[in-house]
Amino acid sequence: MVLEIKKVCKNFGGLSALTDVTFSINQGEIFGLIGPNGAGKTTMFNLITSMFIPTSGEILFNNENINGLKSHVITEKGICRTFQNIRLFPQMTAAENVMVGEHCRSNAGVLRSVFRTKSQRQEETKIRETAEELLEFVGLSDYSEVVSENLAYGQQRRLEIARALASRPELLLLDEPAAGMNETETSDLFDLIKKIQSKDITVLLIEHDMPLVMKLCDRIAVLNFGKKIAEGTPEEIQNHPDVIEAYLGKEEDELYA
Amino acid sequence: MIAELINPYYLQVASFMLINIILGISVYITLSTGQLSLANAGFMGIGAYTSALLTIHFELPIVVGIIAGALVAAICGILIGIPTLRLQGVYLAIVTLGFGEVIRVVFVNWETLTNGSVGISGIPHIGREILSTLQGFGFNPSMLGLQNNQFIFLSIFTLLLLVTIFIIWFFRRQHSSRVGRAFAAIKLDEKAAESMGINITYYKVLAFAQGALVAGFAGAMYAHILAYISPADFAYHRAVEILIFVVFGGSEVIWGPVFGAFFLTLMPEVLRFISEYRYMIYGLIIIIMMAVRPQGLIDVNMLNWFKRKRVKGGHKHGAGNQKGM
Amino acid sequence: MLIEQLINGITLGSIYAIVALGFTLVFGVLGIINMAHGEIFMFGAFIGVMITSSLKAPLWVAFAGAIVITAIMGYMLERFALRPLRHKQGVSHLAPLISTIGVSILLENLSHHLFGAGNHPFRASFAEINFQIGSITVYLVQIVIFVISIILMLTLSFWLGKTKAGKALRATAENLETASLLGVDTKRTITMTVIIASAMGGIAGILVGMAFNSVTPQMGLSMGLKGLAIIILGGMGSVRGAMAGGLILGLAETFIVVYGDSGYRDAIAFLAIIIILLIRPQGLFGQKIST
Repeated sequence: MVLEIKKVCKNFGGLSALTDVTFSINQGEIFGLIGPNGAGKTTMFNLITSMFIPTSGEILFNNENINGLKSHVITEKGICRTFQNIRLFPQMTAAENVMVGEHCRSNAGVLRSVFRTKSQRQEETKIRETAEELLEFVGLSDYSEVVSENLAYGQQRRLEIARALASRPELLLLDEPAAGMNETETSDLFDLIKKIQSKDITVLLIEHDMPLVMKLCDRIAVLNFGKKIAEGTPEEIQNHPDVIEAYLGKEEDELYA
Repeated sequence: MIAELINPYYLQVASFMLINIILGISVYITLSTGQLSLANAGFMGIGAYTSALLTIHFELPIVVGIIAGALVAAICGILIGIPTLRLQGVYLAIVTLGFGEVIRVVFVNWETLTNGSVGISGIPHIGREILSTLQGFGFNPSMLGLQNNQFIFLSIFTLLLLVTIFIIWFFRRQHSSRVGRAFAAIKLDEKAAESMGINITYYKVLAFAQGALVAGFAGAMYAHILAYISPADFAYHRAVEILIFVVFGGSEVIWGPVFGAFFLTLMPEVLRFISEYRYMIYGLIIIIMMAVRPQGLIDVNMLNWFKRKRVKGGHKHGAGNQKGM
Repeated sequence: MLIEQLINGITLGSIYAIVALGFTLVFGVLGIINMAHGEIFMFGAFIGVMITSSLKAPLWVAFAGAIVITAIMGYMLERFALRPLRHKQGVSHLAPLISTIGVSILLENLSHHLFGAGNHPFRASFAEINFQIGSITVYLVQIVIFVISIILMLTLSFWLGKTKAGKALRATAENLETASLLGVDTKRTITMTVIIASAMGGIAGILVGMAFNSVTPQMGLSMGLKGLAIIILGGMGSVRGAMAGGLILGLAETFIVVYGDSGYRDAIAFLAIIIILLIRPQGLFGQKIST
């Protein structure tokens, strides 16, 4: 098991965002985390990447408890994420964004950087090459010198994935990667995530696009009001009464909103 | 011929210009991680007093004093940096401002050591020291057709120029490297930078300490050029003056503070009638720049434009392109 | 002796509180530290000196004059140094701070030119009147300062809590966008806040002139830095915090002069900032603006 979430709770003030959530992800699978808005999906991501500390419960990565480690240490251990509201470094070029992602897999310090030792130059060449490869991998090789804030929305989403891949994660967390994408872009995204899986990277995915989730995921967990209400294969989830109710209930809410 | 051109007064002005450039760079370094430090006048003071006191009381060589001054300032930078780094933006600026004031009050009140608000005079003069060392080897400025005075100021200027070039070279190289990319990433989005595996505490303290080191160095040089320092030299006004170099010249690229310090040191010298109104003009410059061009005169786009003119289709390196304040 | 020092401390502290209120109002509404507040305060003091000694006018005219002039300065500050930066893309939160630093050095040096660098005495006609209560001497000036400060604070609290404009200001401080959706004219509220804060600075200027019988161009800087220290101590944007922080600093300074080393008087404020930010960064009363 790559990731194990054990009875995790998170309270903000008096409000509980997550209650006793438990699930685990196997090596190499694409695992979907779905649920209505405000169900606590992004909070779960923030707990896994240590942007928040769980109120109780344990998060194990490769059987190691990672609760309370610093975010950058978690990235070094092999978990990297994208953000729901894209958080690229807006004034850097696409290539530079990806190069930042390689930070924790390189190690030149101040002196080696300034005096350009041989090992530093090799490392720097490697970083640049890897960045170009990754841009090609996500289909952005023509845009490597474009400042990222000038990229189209779908391109920015893919660039964020490339940046996360640059940290060579074992587990990649994608927060609504298809949000705002049209059909062609979504189907490209499907191929991309499958390609990522074929590189032996485990994927944990938050997504609202149900057809995509059902096609893509090996297993799915459903959150509603901070609690896990179902877990299983796409077929099991689609026929699960609680899930149907949660989603129908949500649609009714939307009618009144 | 050359001898007539070398005017000690001009060299003095040029030397102060170089010190201001170094001070401007010290703020730029810290700012390149998105942190505004108003403590650099304080760090400058720490460098100046450390070096002055060591060379006077322990008769250490000036070089040792200057290095010690810069290092002590850097250590203070680390000590201040670590606890204050959880503060952001405006809070950090105010704390660093407060720290600068505490330093000044200590200089004024620790009279047994610092001689209070009167200041310290009789600090070994770096130009004279160079001259007397060279004279020990049988050198005489008249060999170059120079008077002693001219040689003293020329040697200071040359020394500072070399050091300034080194500092610019150093930080330009750092900027276009893994460290520079980490700085830029932190400046643009701290949370995203941390999620990408950057140890933001380390890099922020590093930037803070580098800024303090450079400011402390400039302070130590200042002490040994003027041979006299007092707490007023390192007060709030100095902090603001250094800030103006960066605000005016630009905070995105190292050439910003360099140009800002160059221009704003030269302006009151060239336009004599301005010098009385200098600080009022500084104030106006800040207000206008913030409203019209908050990133400063020189920014990445401008540099890229020049580069494109020079080499069409040249390959672009480095982590540049981050926006200013 | 102790009680006399206590009175001195409270007098000083109530002035500090007024200065800090000016900072805290602007911070609460705009999220901006107004570095020019100290200089506006200093201008208020100079207007007071000009009116009382050059024009030989009574004290209330001095107050009126200072309020008018500093209110106008507040408007200009908002109009030319703050408004152009608002809603502008790619401007960092440091820009308004730096912009007001620009205003502060402009004003400080302008006052050098207008009033000279020297020290101006501030003569209140009742400066020497005092009362003996047992062994304690209380000056009338101190009472006047204290009473004016209290009136000012009560008025402000009442205004913020009970009037429509005050509520609009609090709503804006809470959330600018929501307030504007609820029909608050946020632009007007912001301008008004800066004007009121500046006028309070002007009043504080005259009070300080009376308390110390001296006005200099440099007093703006030192008072401005202390005001900053107080709002960090009390909690940024907190009205109660500004009042309490002002009193604490006033008392602390008075007592260190008496029982400690007077040279470090000016450092207390900053040591307090540094300590408070490390221990309780939100300040003693850390919350959004409240009555």
